[in-house]
Amino acid sequence: MGGRNRRSLGQLTGAQADPTQPAIVVDGVTETFRLYHERPSGLKERLARMRRASYTDFNALEDVSFAVAHGESVAIIGPNGSGKSTLLKLLARILPPDAGTVLTNGRVASLLELGAGFHGDLTGRENIRLNGAILGLTGGEIEERFEEIVEFAGVRHLLDTAVRTYSSGLEVRLGFAVAVTVDPDILLVDEVLAVGDAEFQHRSLERMRSFRDQGKTFLLVSHDLDAVRDMCDRAIVLDRGRVVFDGPVSEGVDLYRQRVVSRSAPRVDQRRGSRQATIEDVRLVDVDGEEVSEVAPAAKLAVRIRLRARTEVEVCSVGLVVSRGDGTHLFEVHTTWQGVAVGPLQAGQEATVEVRFTANLLAGHYAIACSVTDVSGRETWAVVAEAARFAVSPAPGGAGLVDLAATAVVTDGPARRTGDGKGAPIPLPRLQRRQARG
Amino acid sequence: MTARPGGVEGGLPAAPRRATVAASTKVVELWRARELLAQLVRKELKVRYRNSALGFLWSMLTPVLMTAVFSVVFTQIVRIPVADFAAFFISGYLVWQFLQNSCQGAIHSIVGNGDLIKKVYFPREVLPLSHVFSQLIHLLLALLVLSPYLVYARGWGVLLHLPTTLLAIALLTVFTSGIAMWFAGVNVAFRDLQELFVVIFQVWFYATPVIYPLALVTAQIGERFAWVSTLIQINPATWFIELARFGLYGSVTVQAGGDGPLLSGAPTLPGAEVVLVAGLWAFAALAFGYATFRRRARTFAKEV
Repeated sequence: MGGRNRRSLGQLTGAQADPTQPAIVVDGVTETFRLYHERPSGLKERLARMRRASYTDFNALEDVSFAVAHGESVAIIGPNGSGKSTLLKLLARILPPDAGTVLTNGRVASLLELGAGFHGDLTGRENIRLNGAILGLTGGEIEERFEEIVEFAGVRHLLDTAVRTYSSGLEVRLGFAVAVTVDPDILLVDEVLAVGDAEFQHRSLERMRSFRDQGKTFLLVSHDLDAVRDMCDRAIVLDRGRVVFDGPVSEGVDLYRQRVVSRSAPRVDQRRGSRQATIEDVRLVDVDGEEVSEVAPAAKLAVRIRLRARTEVEVCSVGLVVSRGDGTHLFEVHTTWQGVAVGPLQAGQEATVEVRFTANLLAGHYAIACSVTDVSGRETWAVVAEAARFAVSPAPGGAGLVDLAATAVVTDGPARRTGDGKGAPIPLPRLQRRQARG
Repeated sequence: MTARPGGVEGGLPAAPRRATVAASTKVVELWRARELLAQLVRKELKVRYRNSALGFLWSMLTPVLMTAVFSVVFTQIVRIPVADFAAFFISGYLVWQFLQNSCQGAIHSIVGNGDLIKKVYFPREVLPLSHVFSQLIHLLLALLVLSPYLVYARGWGVLLHLPTTLLAIALLTVFTSGIAMWFAGVNVAFRDLQELFVVIFQVWFYATPVIYPLALVTAQIGERFAWVSTLIQINPATWFIELARFGLYGSVTVQAGGDGPLLSGAPTLPGAEVVLVAGLWAFAALAFGYATFRRRARTFAKEV
């Protein structure tokens, strides 16, 4: 209790960052929205309707908790409707949490909308002052940065004309120019990168990069996964209001991709083409026969597929496809390629096929699809699109698509061990960009 | 990755954001937002009359026209026995207009700025308050322009008792701020308040001694309608109008004997009880209106 009294006024209003505390703490936050079926907008309606209006409460966020330290750059990603914008609004103090607490330490600025408060009848100059004031700058700060804003937006020649006459692109640039001069300790950015032309987007990213490099805390909500990978070290993935992942950004992006793909992929009828056979059960197991979902790299795994014949089956083959989280086809095998087939089966008879493989894969999320086909592979009798999912835990040693199990040895010259073998591999997109640049 | 802030009593991060944020923090925040308030007032003033030829003079024209009409009616048709009815009326009416127009702007200030509320954080109070302060500027300028007439009609006492007038305006600003915030906040959840606005202010206007002096009420009201007299005296606006009139017009008293004609004295110092009642109402309205606004403000972003 005594510690509280010693804080300065600036710190009391959250204006100055306290370096000993985390920048953001979100604890058990739930946010509920009430969706009225017919919104009663007044006293008269409420009285007239003696029973309560019909509504459903829906939780945009449910029991969300995480903490962000000063200087971290975090991405918040998730499918549409997962609660990302709501979370940012909570952090920006636009909404209070219905349950739980939100604590921020330091000056918070949010770029949720550019040009907030712009009025067409005011001149560029007046709008800069108004917008700056809305974003929390004091009069003195606005004057200080006025020139900088005008330069960045390139509006000097239109400074004293009504904003009504500006092109929409210019308006966006002006809004952004003001927004970036706010110098907060914590910056929240929401999809605002989506507007503007390519040059503007490039400039926005530059500015944000410099902001991050200054060691400020940075939270980004975006669907642009390249930007997310580039700008952030950590990703929090939301799905339907819950945190489903909180960790390194590349893994988070993979998981997000997988969820989005599995949502949008048409639901394959599990028993499609079940004239001859159906797949009853698929299990992914390790060497001990235990079902697994998270494995180490180069783990020995097996897929057990139990199928049942509906009619008399002379002979059939079982196929397996391993794909990456975003749907990239990695590996396919059919039992007949290895000279193995199943049959003959009576109607109703079951058989179990085990396909063993070594998971020479790098860290990420993967899915397995199974099928039962005729021997030639032309007719598909049963297919299960996402029979099993598994994740490969990160380990040093490589980057890219496949793990070639490489080891390095100095054959001629002095050698030493560096680090603890935990150096992070370079993310794939950066590698690709490097290659593209030649 | 999840930190548990509980149990770290003395070392909690600054400015926790719950409903129980200390009032002092809110006031500091409001003070820091004074630039925003100034900018919004400037915008109000500029935008309102942007396309009208007479521009700013319109805000003057309404009270002047009203005064002309009311003067004719209430000196020729229905007589209100006060000296210089025009001066009597306008000194009260300008002050009344300040209250009414502030509330009229304020009631729409939150619902009309939905986008802003949902996207940017700033102390929401500045929205209704910007209307109050822009109307205050209108009022002060109107008084400035009309003071020659008032001096002509009621003598130099008008200038001499300027402090009284300013005190009345100051207290009225405090009062109006509270009422404006109340309207702004409640209207978000109960939208028909903006429909009822006209009726509310019509009734309130006639229940306030703007057209007639308070002395006339107490003198003339019969037994059956004694409750009306009480109502008028309970009406907080009554006290602000009366207080303002002390400086701008003068006092109106009943001649000794009760039934005699009214005496309209020159501008004079107000009685202590008028100042006291006005002051109490001002701060009560501010406290109540602000508290209501704060409570409702939590869910503005969801409802607007």
